Amino acid sequence: MNANAKTMTGKQPLMSRIPAGFVQAVLKGHSALGLAFAAAIYVVCLSGTLSVFLHEFTAWENPAAPHIEQMSPDAVQKALENAVSQSSGEVHHVRLIMPSADQTFLTLDVDTANGDKEWVADASGNLTPLRNAWSEFIIRLHIFLHLPSSWGIFIVGMTGVALLSSLISGLCAHPRIFRDAFHLRIGGSQRLQEADLHNRIGVWGLPFHIIVSLTGAFLGLTTIIVGILGMAMFNGDTARIYALFTPPEPVENAAQAPVLDLRPMLARLPAEGVLERITVEHPTEMGAAAIFDIDDKQALAGTSSLGFTRSAEIYYNKDISKASLGERVFGALGPLHFGWFGGGIVKIAYGLLGLGLTYLAVGGVKIWLVRRRDKGRPAPGWESVWAAVVWGQPAGLAAAALCAIVLPEWPYTFLIAVWGAITLAMLAGATVLSASVLTISGKAATAILAISLGLYHAMFIAGGSASASVWAMDVLLFTFGCGVALYLIRGSRRPRSAARQAG
Amino acid sequence: MNEAAIMTGMAVLAAGGGLSLRRSWRARGDGGRRWKAGGWALLLAACALGAMTLGTMRGLFTGFTIAAVAMLAIVASGMVVRESKQARRSKSLAPEPLDRKPSWWRSALRWLLAGPIGMIAAMAVGIFWSVWTGGAEHTRLVIGGMLVPLVWGGAMAWTLADNRILRATAVLSLVALLGFGLSILKGFG
Repeated sequence: MNANAKTMTGKQPLMSRIPAGFVQAVLKGHSALGLAFAAAIYVVCLSGTLSVFLHEFTAWENPAAPHIEQMSPDAVQKALENAVSQSSGEVHHVRLIMPSADQTFLTLDVDTANGDKEWVADASGNLTPLRNAWSEFIIRLHIFLHLPSSWGIFIVGMTGVALLSSLISGLCAHPRIFRDAFHLRIGGSQRLQEADLHNRIGVWGLPFHIIVSLTGAFLGLTTIIVGILGMAMFNGDTARIYALFTPPEPVENAAQAPVLDLRPMLARLPAEGVLERITVEHPTEMGAAAIFDIDDKQALAGTSSLGFTRSAEIYYNKDISKASLGERVFGALGPLHFGWFGGGIVKIAYGLLGLGLTYLAVGGVKIWLVRRRDKGRPAPGWESVWAAVVWGQPAGLAAAALCAIVLPEWPYTFLIAVWGAITLAMLAGATVLSASVLTISGKAATAILAISLGLYHAMFIAGGSASASVWAMDVLLFTFGCGVALYLIRGSRRPRSAARQAG
Repeated sequence: MNEAAIMTGMAVLAAGGGLSLRRSWRARGDGGRRWKAGGWALLLAACALGAMTLGTMRGLFTGFTIAAVAMLAIVASGMVVRESKQARRSKSLAPEPLDRKPSWWRSALRWLLAGPIGMIAAMAVGIFWSVWTGGAEHTRLVIGGMLVPLVWGGAMAWTLADNRILRATAVLSLVALLGFGLSILKGFG
């Protein structure tokens, strides 16, 4: 044991007392788990980091949408009537998301027998189609990995469990946690550099890493947990469990009626809290109802809800401040997972920490590859595969975003094809190209696509937008692209100067 | 007070805490104890300020988030850039993973334990909690549900590390049997 590790009283620090054999065994498990799930963790974390800014992305895709601070009840009603009248087929539900600080316009999602249609409303309630192919693409990548939904969400949930498990084993396998607490040694041995980055980000970002992995794992596994609970406890009736957490269905009456009038309901809402969402059930039936979700800005635990029948009578009232602990925890899971609870500053912090978590996956595999190289057992094939994964994703995502902006009529499913083609092309390239060629190609493609995206959006799409977040997004994309380009240029100069020095 | 100002205050407190902890880390031994105590106190103060002004839980989690970013910024500010030649000579002190003898059946069992068997055992623990604890139905279900990823994650970490794989098999199987058996015996009510 290193003498420096002993305290002045002669006792060894707590973490140094962990037996070396235990640390090695845990490290073996940490390494195996990390390698098995590295690609999934990387994609889920990268898409999750982008999903933090989902509302800003929706605003970015709709820069011409009006900036509305408060909608009048008449305008809300008109928007609902317009959405229903412009729909074909029976309308099952309409979901209205009210203007807020991060998305300053009203959106309507109309669910009909012929599919979904989404709209943006102006301050008078007039509608234009909502452009959200990119936002839809990124959130579905994060939640389903673009796989069939029940499989996709389970795999994402399992990835969350693997991440949580890696955090546990990572802590147990880190006896130098206090001794190295502030070490960040860059530029020397690559293994030491990557280990420092991996360990410092992992340890100091730990509260965030635990929060997002635990909430993500729970949200991803909800279907299977409820399914097994229902099977074991309720004779397979999972609806009984869901019914505990969702508002009751209104009394069924399918007789046709005029579009539900929201105005008397809006007049009955409490003065406290901010109206966040209205869900209208069967708006053209006599049995229509509307649920109003009201956000208490000081509370983390989701929203209070008021349900109204067609005659504006309250049939459901959930006050979140008086709800059980379970309901409040359940309501807090989504905001905590996505960082949607503290405004722009918390979102930016979540973005930075999310990038850190993404880098944990990247750096973890790099450590394994460098360790193999140091031991004289390099794995060039895996180095290529990992380079293809790491740089294929930003390039694929930037290409999908560029397509969404240049070809706004494309549905998000076309974007999956673009992203999937680039991901597969990079992976196919890994069979014949070296890691350095793939890294250079991926970086170059990412830089070109990100710069083009920022410039194209700013010059041809964003013109006249009053939203600061729209312009900030363009500046960020342009800066990110330039940063990657600079990183690429510096990286290509380094080997040459090293070779000159060696010569 | 406006929320941005409060969060800036929290960031300043957390950064102060980070600087103080780094000073303690550099001093080591008794000389650093006061800085260590002060550092943790400032980090706690950042979270407490959030809890008192932004809503208890909302402020607390805002505090965790801001403190994590502030700490990483402090770590980054102390970054040491090394000469690559000099660094290549330095020997790594990092522990190496265990070299296990390859055995296909042990590997297969290990991954079965970390995957499906661990999941079933974790489900059993979650359902056992939901069935056997008291309180509101929502709370029992949500806490039981949260236990599933936690226990599964713990089981994954344990089974992939433990060399005594048969012991892990026995424990997880027993937990699954007992958890489901006792839950079905009582029923949810």
